[in-house]
Amino acid sequence: MKEKYALIFGHNDYTLEIKKNIVSEYEAVYVLSLEDESENSFDLSDDWDTVDKKYKMKDCVAFCILEDMAENIFLTISLRDTFKDLTIVALAKDKEGADKLTLAGASRVLPTTQTTANVIVEMLEKPIVTEVLHNILYEESDLKIAQIKIKNHELFDGKHLTDIDWSREHGIIVISVVHEDGSKEFIYSAKSKHHKIKMGDIFVVVGYEQDIKDFEKLIGNKND
Amino acid sequence: MIKRLIVDFAYFINTSGKYQKKKHFFYDLLENNSYKYKKYFDIFMITLIFISVVIFIQEVKSEVDTRLLYFNNYIISFIFLVEYLLRLWISSSISKTIIEQSEHDFILGEKFRFFKAFKNILIIKFRYILSFKAIVDLLAIIPFFHQLRLLRIFILFRVFKLFRYAKSIQTFTSVIAAKKFEFFTLFIFASIIIFVSSVLIYVMEANHPDSSITTLFQAVYWSIVTISTVGYGDITPITQEGRVVSMFVIIAGIGVFSFTTSLIVTSFTEKLDEIKDLKLIDDISKIKEFYLICGYGTVAKEVAKKLSIHNKVIILDEDEEIVSRATKDGFIALNYDPGTTQSYHKLKINIKSQVKAILCLGKNDVENVYTALTIRSFNKDVFILSILKNKVNKNKLNFAGVNEIFYEKELVGIVAKEFVGKHVAFEAIHALRSSYNGIDVNEIRITQRIIKNYQKIADLDNKKYRIVLLGVYKTKEKQFFFNPIDDTLFENGDYLLVIGNTQFLKEFNVLLNKKN
Repeated sequence: MKEKYALIFGHNDYTLEIKKNIVSEYEAVYVLSLEDESENSFDLSDDWDTVDKKYKMKDCVAFCILEDMAENIFLTISLRDTFKDLTIVALAKDKEGADKLTLAGASRVLPTTQTTANVIVEMLEKPIVTEVLHNILYEESDLKIAQIKIKNHELFDGKHLTDIDWSREHGIIVISVVHEDGSKEFIYSAKSKHHKIKMGDIFVVVGYEQDIKDFEKLIGNKND
Repeated sequence: MIKRLIVDFAYFINTSGKYQKKKHFFYDLLENNSYKYKKYFDIFMITLIFISVVIFIQEVKSEVDTRLLYFNNYIISFIFLVEYLLRLWISSSISKTIIEQSEHDFILGEKFRFFKAFKNILIIKFRYILSFKAIVDLLAIIPFFHQLRLLRIFILFRVFKLFRYAKSIQTFTSVIAAKKFEFFTLFIFASIIIFVSSVLIYVMEANHPDSSITTLFQAVYWSIVTISTVGYGDITPITQEGRVVSMFVIIAGIGVFSFTTSLIVTSFTEKLDEIKDLKLIDDISKIKEFYLICGYGTVAKEVAKKLSIHNKVIILDEDEEIVSRATKDGFIALNYDPGTTQSYHKLKINIKSQVKAILCLGKNDVENVYTALTIRSFNKDVFILSILKNKVNKNKLNFAGVNEIFYEKELVGIVAKEFVGKHVAFEAIHALRSSYNGIDVNEIRITQRIIKNYQKIADLDNKKYRIVLLGVYKTKEKQFFFNPIDDTLFENGDYLLVIGNTQFLKEFNVLLNKKN
């Protein structure tokens, strides 16, 4: 189930950027600052009842972005301890911090240094790939990337994944397939070559919006 | 009239491309250490020197073939003579001196004073002739003129010529030269001891009937042998007084000996970093292409690590500690301030031809702006990218001429969006981007050669190599064509965007470039 609200713990330079980017995905995004006198604040004591009451944590996704690494880890641990099923996205400075946050129970870790380094290197080494992928991912072009769940496998009649010329028949490019057990395979990997298309497979496809819509109609629904 | 001709000729020579080119070639060959053929010239000269010395040794006890002697006396000497003259030629420019004099006189409204120019030329040339290296060179030629036995010794001057060709000897002399004062003090100290002790031992021993020290020369010989802690024992004092003197000399000898050793060792350790740096700079000037990273922080470390997989990376930082950390991490790092033009001059980096891109990854925006401006001040074209720490400084970086700016917080924000959006799709792309599972996204540049083999999309064999062709980037139109139709024609400079197994991608690339 998709969460309705986003809670950002910590008020700093990252807050603004993250809020700007995710605001379209949620009904509301709340920012809580640490030990502030204002209304929207929290502390690192173990009393989460007020926060829970106010924001209904089971409908929320939490972003832990305190700049002090130790505090951030502590915050992650106490959130995980109180809310077992909460999705926690945490900000880490480096690899070491990322490992610790994963141990502390963060569902996802955003390593800042790593991210910046990756983007810089990609830009230098593969400028065209970077530009194209950026456009696809951040929706600045008509090209989209989508994940489509197969609900209509009879259509393919036990055919193998690679038997079908997706790009010519449907105008889309299938990059990889996610099996029912959650394992991801590149479309041309040895394993997926012998994989018969079946119910519940999720295709990761790239294509023009209209082509993707048509393809979805053909085989199932968009999977969120 | 003649003066006029001389000045005209000087101008002609000075502006003649052919003449200057030739002179420059010989300069490179003889003096320019970074000229790639100088090495071979040096080896050739060193070989000649050794041949000469071997013949010299051979000659001491046995007869040597006259042809070899001829070779030694005439051919080698002749080659040395030619080298000497060339060096004399390139040491300074006669035409330039004449022109300077004539312009000087012209400005003052006087007649061109030829003799003054001639005098200046002589002074400059003689200054070169009287330099230590030139004297050694000249003496090395002398066997050419003299057949006298004693003068053969001059052949050994050819060995001194080695100083010119072997770099390590130059380094050694420069290290020793740095401690000139200390060595001089030591020399004076040792000389006084030798003088006093030899006089003393002579006075004590010379009149004793059994003593082997009978002349002052023997006394000096004894004291040098003793003070140097060699102590042959062929001459020993036999009187009580003489032995007391030798005890003092022995103790002084230990002092001199240890002082000398420690001097050489300390001067080497002091100079070691400098020598290493020079070697590094020399190596860097030979690298064809590299990324230059200015400032070494956490981001720089990650970037350097990733870039160094396929490229050469060089790091500059003004903090010595940070540089040593970068060196420990396995990178080529130099302790130079990236914010001064001087650093780049000292490093002998040719930004235009050697540097792929400059990355300003310093610890704050002030540093990065400064570095970018410094580089822009002498190079307008090189690609500069910089990270931005504080959003308000973005314009300053733009103004400093940075081509691409990365704002860390914004990047994190964008990545955060991925997590809340389409998980699976983003993860798939991420996996591709980071070559996870051996799958990689790559761009293949279309070259003339590829076009010869493959004219259009339909010709490609990508399915066979299990490669997904995402599209073509048309450089002319600056547009990406997703899933292009089979008839799309390739043009030189286009890029193919392909996804596939890293190994297969390599093979595919090889196949594309194969000669048909």
